[in-house]
Amino acid sequence: MSPHFPQPLAIGKIPVLVESSKAIPLVHMSVATRRGAAADPPGGEGLTRLTARLMRRTAGGMPLTEIERHLDRLGISLGADISYSNVSMAAVVLKRSSEQCVSMLADALGKPGLSDEEFSRLKRETLAEIVDGQDNDRGLASRALRRSLFANHPYGRSVGGTLSTIKSLQPEQARSLYKTLVRRDDLLIGISGDIEESEALKLAERLVESVAPSTTGADDTQEPTPSEGRKLMFVNKPDRSQTQIYVGLQGSHPKDEDHLDLHVANTVFGGMFSSRLMQQVRVKRGWSYGAYSSLPLDRHRQAFTIWTFPKSEDAAACLKLELEMLDELVTKGVTEKELRSAKNMLTRSYAFLVDTAAKRLGLCMDEIMYDLPSGYYASYPKRISATKLEDVNAALKRRLNPANLVVAVVGTNDRVLEAVQQVMPDAQTEIIPFDTEDL
Amino acid sequence: MPDRAQSSSVLPRCPVPLGPLNSSLGDANLLQWVSSGTFGDSLRLDRFKLSNGLTILTCEDHSSPVVSYHTWLRVGSRHERETKTGIAHLLEHLMFNETEKLPQGAYDQMLEEAGAETNASTWLDFTQYSVNAPKQALKLVVTLEAERLSSLVLREPQVVSEKDVVANERRYRVDDDVEGAMNELLWSMAFTRHAYRCPTIGWMKDILDLSPEDCEQFYKTYYAPNNATVVVVGDFRTASLLKLIAASYGPLKSSTMPVEDARPEPAQTSERRAELTKPTPTEKVTIGYHAPALGDFDYAPISVLAEVLCGGRASRLVQRLVHDLEIATDVRASVGPFHDPGLFEIGASARDKRSGEALLEQIDAELQRVCNEPVEDEELERALARLELGLISGLDTVDGKASTIGFYETILYEPSAAFARLNAMRRVNQSDIMRAARRYLRPETRTCVFVRCESPAAEELAQ
Repeated sequence: MSPHFPQPLAIGKIPVLVESSKAIPLVHMSVATRRGAAADPPGGEGLTRLTARLMRRTAGGMPLTEIERHLDRLGISLGADISYSNVSMAAVVLKRSSEQCVSMLADALGKPGLSDEEFSRLKRETLAEIVDGQDNDRGLASRALRRSLFANHPYGRSVGGTLSTIKSLQPEQARSLYKTLVRRDDLLIGISGDIEESEALKLAERLVESVAPSTTGADDTQEPTPSEGRKLMFVNKPDRSQTQIYVGLQGSHPKDEDHLDLHVANTVFGGMFSSRLMQQVRVKRGWSYGAYSSLPLDRHRQAFTIWTFPKSEDAAACLKLELEMLDELVTKGVTEKELRSAKNMLTRSYAFLVDTAAKRLGLCMDEIMYDLPSGYYASYPKRISATKLEDVNAALKRRLNPANLVVAVVGTNDRVLEAVQQVMPDAQTEIIPFDTEDL
Repeated sequence: MPDRAQSSSVLPRCPVPLGPLNSSLGDANLLQWVSSGTFGDSLRLDRFKLSNGLTILTCEDHSSPVVSYHTWLRVGSRHERETKTGIAHLLEHLMFNETEKLPQGAYDQMLEEAGAETNASTWLDFTQYSVNAPKQALKLVVTLEAERLSSLVLREPQVVSEKDVVANERRYRVDDDVEGAMNELLWSMAFTRHAYRCPTIGWMKDILDLSPEDCEQFYKTYYAPNNATVVVVGDFRTASLLKLIAASYGPLKSSTMPVEDARPEPAQTSERRAELTKPTPTEKVTIGYHAPALGDFDYAPISVLAEVLCGGRASRLVQRLVHDLEIATDVRASVGPFHDPGLFEIGASARDKRSGEALLEQIDAELQRVCNEPVEDEELERALARLELGLISGLDTVDGKASTIGFYETILYEPSAAFARLNAMRRVNQSDIMRAARRYLRPETRTCVFVRCESPAAEELAQ
């Protein structure tokens, strides 16, 4: 039986998605815009995130503490989610507080105070959070990878900003951005859970009315260009017994005709426990607790990445193996048997992509937000089943070029660097202190 | 221990005719109905038992064509011996390997091809395995789970390789992780006799010294049907499921569980302090007070107190340390949900160059206040709404429901206890909170771990 997906309704030109389910007495609400952190001004990365959080923290012009008390008392969890391509205010609420939740969302979207005082507090808090983030080795490796892989492209910036960019931001910039960030004709509203469609539409109308009726410009983010040659970004951190290693290449987008072919190939390579990476790195050699590859979605081509975290002594050997496996994947492709397993896994586990109302709603919102063809997820199993071995292997050759990749390693210089450089003798190396202001 | 079905919501009829089922399997007493109750407002929860002691909890939920199949074992790191720490967790990893009927790798391959996702976890009191699968794969899941519960094969190469994996997991979660290292030190100091002092992942030396024979012995001792509970939630028919389970698990032999060498923790009478130095940009502090067990009457008030102190930005400690004084990036509190008394933990990360002691001073001031003055009604109301939202949010998926059922069954022998616990928290009043604070938040019963910043060598970083 095919899952039920919400059909887009509309209030004026604004798409509204409603997915009712009585399974549990909760309601999910999400209001998203098509502008995200990719539109941060150069040198001002982190501005979109800071502005969205500021809206949440000054909803209706109320003091932050009053907002928090109100939300907690009603059983509302309200957050601002910021990605490269969109900003969404998302709430999970006890059914009994749905009405009040809409009022809070409307206040955050349409009547935020955006005061200097709260801006300054949030800025100080954000700086402290970035400093604390230096404890997260995986996060450091991921940021170092993006910075090099997407150099000169917004996807290379940090959504949350860096110490140096956040320090430079001023309240007027947030107020100015707000005017273009949340505009009525640019919204997408989704409501799911224990709520009737008619009731949800009434709530959506209130949300629409809360936002000023103008439009924003189109997303003018350019398609990223692939990096040239091999690069090694080494983040030096003392006293590491382990490394965090990311390998990154430019990936693909669902608008590419061969995207699903590459998606299936990724599943064979590092997308499940029986995948090649997990078997060779973890099961056979015990080198890393996890070994994964991924091919995330966005409005433009994102990265194809491999992630492992071997101990320092195994880092070079593990990286060497990963690069050899990547070469082999591209040159020899996947086998018929591997393809069949991956297709079975993807089509049959589809049940868990759509098993709750909130998940179904999320997929439909992604279709609109990422400019995917209508019905992209409804037809997903059928299209996966239709993938062919020759197309999958051709996609690997077309999209992944192991000659052009970035490796980011977090580790302790004198334990790891030399051995890693020997694995990539032709790579340009950049050494970055883990506590630099620009990471 | 005897089953203790909830008496408040018993549905006194067996949902399926067991006579014909048992007859078809050739044993009139193979499967017995024990009790029925409700899970939440709309779901029915039934308890059955096989003659070999296996407990089966079934909860039909037809909202989506998927099932969650959990196996919970009453064995965790608390059952380990000195020098053999980490064995419960290592065995959990090894359970995904070879069995008598399945070669290495076949378990994962078969389930992944069926669209299933597997996972497992080990903690102080339990080991748990989960398979979330499309409903069509249920028969395969039952067969494979019964197979590995009884017929695991442990060979030297797999054990050696898996020990390396676990050692790497330890580096990831503890050795190179500031919070993980703090937490491990805190528990190892707060407990001097009780098995909770040893980390579930094990000490590194112990992990590397474990042998296939150690694993085999642990497996044979604790992996028996009478030490396990199977929880199934999702889109299935109970009668058909029971037939599958009885056929696959019925032949398994029960075993005699060893009497646990339980060593209650003596009362702590003076504060303990320790320091760690790490390459971290800010100081941190974590504090552990001895706290009541999950089944204790005081667990509800101390849980509400944790929420009053650190649940959300408007809570007392977050408001004071993060919002007003801006001396912390975050502050959090929790009380461990354990079979035996655990810890009430408060942790905070300093901002800028503030010291851990500066954080502790402000935390102490707030703890003193909850000991001296009643919390406000509105604070209680907020804490309860947050707890209710947290509980219900965790029940969105079949896996969330199965986890909740399995956890409370394993620790408290009450699969619906999550709801009873929420009701107990709704009954908590200001007096309960003040009494719990005064009883448990005493400085002489606490352990504090401070993390100092190691200044990275400038020369090294410049290289």
